[in-house]
Amino acid sequence: MNKALRNPLIYILFVLPAFILFLAFFIYPIYTAIDNSFTSWNGISKDVKYIGFDNYATAMSDVAFWKSVKNNVYFILFSCLVQVPLIVIFSLLIANVKRLKGLYKTAVFAPSIMSTAVIGILWGFIYNPDFGLMNQLLGLFGVEPIYWLSDKNWAMLSILITNAWQWTGFYIVMVLAAIISIPKELDEAAAIDGATGWQRAMKITLPLVMPIISVVIMLSIAGAMKAADIILVMTKGGPAGSTDVMATYMIRYAITSFKHGFGNSIAVLIFVFTMIITALYQVLIARRNERIEY
Amino acid sequence: MKKKGLALLMSLLFVSSALLSACGGKGAEKPSGGTGGAAGNEPFEITIRHTQVGESKKFRLALLNDVVSKTEAAVPGLKIKLDAVDSEVNRKEKLRGEMAAGKPPEVFDVFGSPDAGVYAKEGLMLDLTPILDELGIKDKFTTLDPFTHDGKIYGLPIGGSIEGIFYNKEYFEQKGLSVPKSLAELEQIAEAIKADGKIPFAQSSKDAWIPLMTTNNLWSYYAGPEVTYGFKTGETKWTDPKVVEGVKKHQEWVEKGYFKKGELGFEYADMRNQILSGEAIMMMDGSWANSVFRDPEQAGDMVGKIGYFNLPPVNAGDPVVVMQDANNGYGFSAEVANDPRKLQAVKEFIKNMWTDEMQLRGLKEDGVLPAMKMDLETMNSTSDDPLMQDIFKGVSEIGKSFPAFDALVQADVNTALSMGIQQVIGGELDAQKMLENVQAAQEAANATEE
Amino acid sequence: MRAMKKLIPHIFLMAYLLVILYPFLFVLFSSVKTDNQSIAANPFGLPDTFVLDNYVNAWVNAKISTYFWNSLYIGVLSACLSILFAAMLAFAITRMRYNRISAILFQCILLGMLIPNNSLMLPIYGIMRQLDILNTHMALILPYVANAIPFSVIILAAFMRSLPGEIEEAAVIDGLRSGGLFARIILPLTVPAIVTVFIINFLGNWNEFLLANYFLSNDELRTLPVRMVGFRDAYNMNYAQMSAGIVFSVLPVLIIYAILQEKIIEGVTAGSVKG
Repeated sequence: MNKALRNPLIYILFVLPAFILFLAFFIYPIYTAIDNSFTSWNGISKDVKYIGFDNYATAMSDVAFWKSVKNNVYFILFSCLVQVPLIVIFSLLIANVKRLKGLYKTAVFAPSIMSTAVIGILWGFIYNPDFGLMNQLLGLFGVEPIYWLSDKNWAMLSILITNAWQWTGFYIVMVLAAIISIPKELDEAAAIDGATGWQRAMKITLPLVMPIISVVIMLSIAGAMKAADIILVMTKGGPAGSTDVMATYMIRYAITSFKHGFGNSIAVLIFVFTMIITALYQVLIARRNERIEY
Repeated sequence: MKKKGLALLMSLLFVSSALLSACGGKGAEKPSGGTGGAAGNEPFEITIRHTQVGESKKFRLALLNDVVSKTEAAVPGLKIKLDAVDSEVNRKEKLRGEMAAGKPPEVFDVFGSPDAGVYAKEGLMLDLTPILDELGIKDKFTTLDPFTHDGKIYGLPIGGSIEGIFYNKEYFEQKGLSVPKSLAELEQIAEAIKADGKIPFAQSSKDAWIPLMTTNNLWSYYAGPEVTYGFKTGETKWTDPKVVEGVKKHQEWVEKGYFKKGELGFEYADMRNQILSGEAIMMMDGSWANSVFRDPEQAGDMVGKIGYFNLPPVNAGDPVVVMQDANNGYGFSAEVANDPRKLQAVKEFIKNMWTDEMQLRGLKEDGVLPAMKMDLETMNSTSDDPLMQDIFKGVSEIGKSFPAFDALVQADVNTALSMGIQQVIGGELDAQKMLENVQAAQEAANATEE
Repeated sequence: MRAMKKLIPHIFLMAYLLVILYPFLFVLFSSVKTDNQSIAANPFGLPDTFVLDNYVNAWVNAKISTYFWNSLYIGVLSACLSILFAAMLAFAITRMRYNRISAILFQCILLGMLIPNNSLMLPIYGIMRQLDILNTHMALILPYVANAIPFSVIILAAFMRSLPGEIEEAAVIDGLRSGGLFARIILPLTVPAIVTVFIINFLGNWNEFLLANYFLSNDELRTLPVRMVGFRDAYNMNYAQMSAGIVFSVLPVLIIYAILQEKIIEGVTAGSVKG
């Protein structure tokens, strides 16, 4: 028995392919990103000059960079403060209806299986000031046309709405599964004790699905930190950088203007910020409820 | 049972190792091409990377094909491989990647400034100066500045362009408007159009280079086109009151509502659509836009109804200042110099490509202005299309030409300027504040260059 | 009163449904209208006359079929490979007796979950360049396989750990070695988890835009999302035709979803509850 499961050669053969890929696409890139972030490399030249922390200093003193950081923060706040409550409310609603449950579940999930790029195109059309659904709809109520993607005051919100449209259903289905897996007896016992639907939801269901909500929040944060495709497709970071997030800021500098070293320093910063936020969340909030165990 | 399991496992491992070796081995497969020295007739190959992809570039491609067959016929053993890649992709990704790896194709489509300069600095591009001297065509080009680095020429422009205003001729006639002689007249026309409920200027500012065509021309009028050359050296400043005045003019037009509301989110194609639908009457664009307006498939019944004039000077009678450049063309790999036969092939390619005949053909079929010097009559006789005639007239009226600003300033400054013009259009900043930011970016960029 | 109370949740849910589904209908209606003007004139409903030209033009101009197959084969192949490698790793660290090394390996992989892989795009671009596989499908398949490994390992390891130890005792007595044990016993038992992981990985690959946009330059190699954006940029003038393009690109996914929706939702929820 032990012999069969203690064959070093087999062990190595089994571990190796995945681990090599992991080293090649996670560890090595982090190493090169850090290394390049200290250079003024243009991505082409053979001689690479090390310039210490200059790239980081440049980023830190660039107003546009901080604007992109702020937009990442908006992304996170919007997910946690607007999306998560909606997710919880709609999951509870779906869990408690008897009819059409399947339809609701299927329909709300549909946007999450579609390509973000195509959703960006679709919503670009919806936001079109002349023919788009949004303004046509608002027009019915006599609202003046809004220049969704052209107006810096609206552009970020427009993207956040689109992102929420795509992903809310995905998380609803996750939370819904957790709610349905709660033993019926608990709820029934509370109902017999005279608890109202609202009380049961707050006192029984919600605490029990807290771990999964915690997962949803973590996934939203991770999603917010790496959001780039939807912005590239809808606004390219514009107008005037008002919808730039760190990832699109990085692409703008590193790929379109020969500043590979600087771009890598932004990559490292995204990495560091994500770590900090995740750690903060784990320490401040998740600890108090229940730590996520994998 | 045992054997079967092992066989399955082995096949799994085989797949994974095949995958890993597939990615490792690709590099060695590259054809080495004809190695130099032997001057016999053994076949050898060179690759031309071009960007003539799609329906709209079919004339360019036909022209290139003709040059290719002529060149092949002239050099024994030569086989030319054509590699087509979308222009933007080639410029931003593919060629850059190849340059970083040190192995671009022998002949490739390249932008003069700043791209060719960067590559030339790394010794990756072939110095064409001796070849041009030998062929005696060095002085035949309108300008080779974008491809010149440290006094040597590293590429040749395939065509030229100017930037000015396309307008709805039919509308002008109906309303009794005439081509303006001064900015004040242009503004009167804009007012009249606006009063008529139409949009004076079509513009799409999602990509900042589009509104910057107008801004660039305006500051060149107010501060003189020479001012842009001085930013990099520190001789001139973006905050110069004359430059501010020019950018303010653009801001004023925005504030007066001369552009469509919300155009900050529009794509390039949108502004042409505004002209074609009759919604807008005038549009600042490059001369290359003529191909859209002459194509019945794209322009529909607007074909023949669009004209062109240069942006007029501040005061009537002053010299007309127009952006005129020739920044896109072909460059050659430095490697070619090590192989006499390839060098011969490149020489032959240049000889066949840059001739009056080919330049005129590009003009006639494709509406691309020649990159080589050409008198107005020759051009006029080549294309009798009224829009092309307007553009030729535009070229002939040029008092002073200038290259687009992005060829003269660093990429960072371009980024700052792009951000700035969008902020001005969005009403976030005024011209003064915007140019202060641009100047700050300029000084930072100048500092790192020393 | 009771009936009212039952109705209220449905009203909210129907409103939500409308928000989700109407955009699809809007695009569908727009795709059979002649041009922008007719969309503007009658934005919400069906037109009086159906125009199917848009579909013909979009099919011809956007060459949907090529890109659809590119996306499909890259997505499926990458998802299969990452599952294979992840399952092998998960098997080794959960069932084989090298506990200390396995624990370290697993912690490493966990760390991978925290790395925002978008930010590593530039270095990965550099690696692809060194391997000289930019502009081949391999440039997408390798990173897709790698990116999916941490998540897949975590789910599969959790599942394999929950399998009782007696299974392999019996198998080993039957004379199976570790390779056979993996292929013949553990893998088949893990199928429910594998389906989950496959669906999530496939959807991720199918929808991926960033790498696909920057790592491939030849038009015929591109994937559907990238091509659709290109199509939008080129045919931006005509929203009716663009809508037809959107319908083409969304329809196959919706059909697959309609057929497999039970499985897909089950997969996603099982995965997330475990994760």
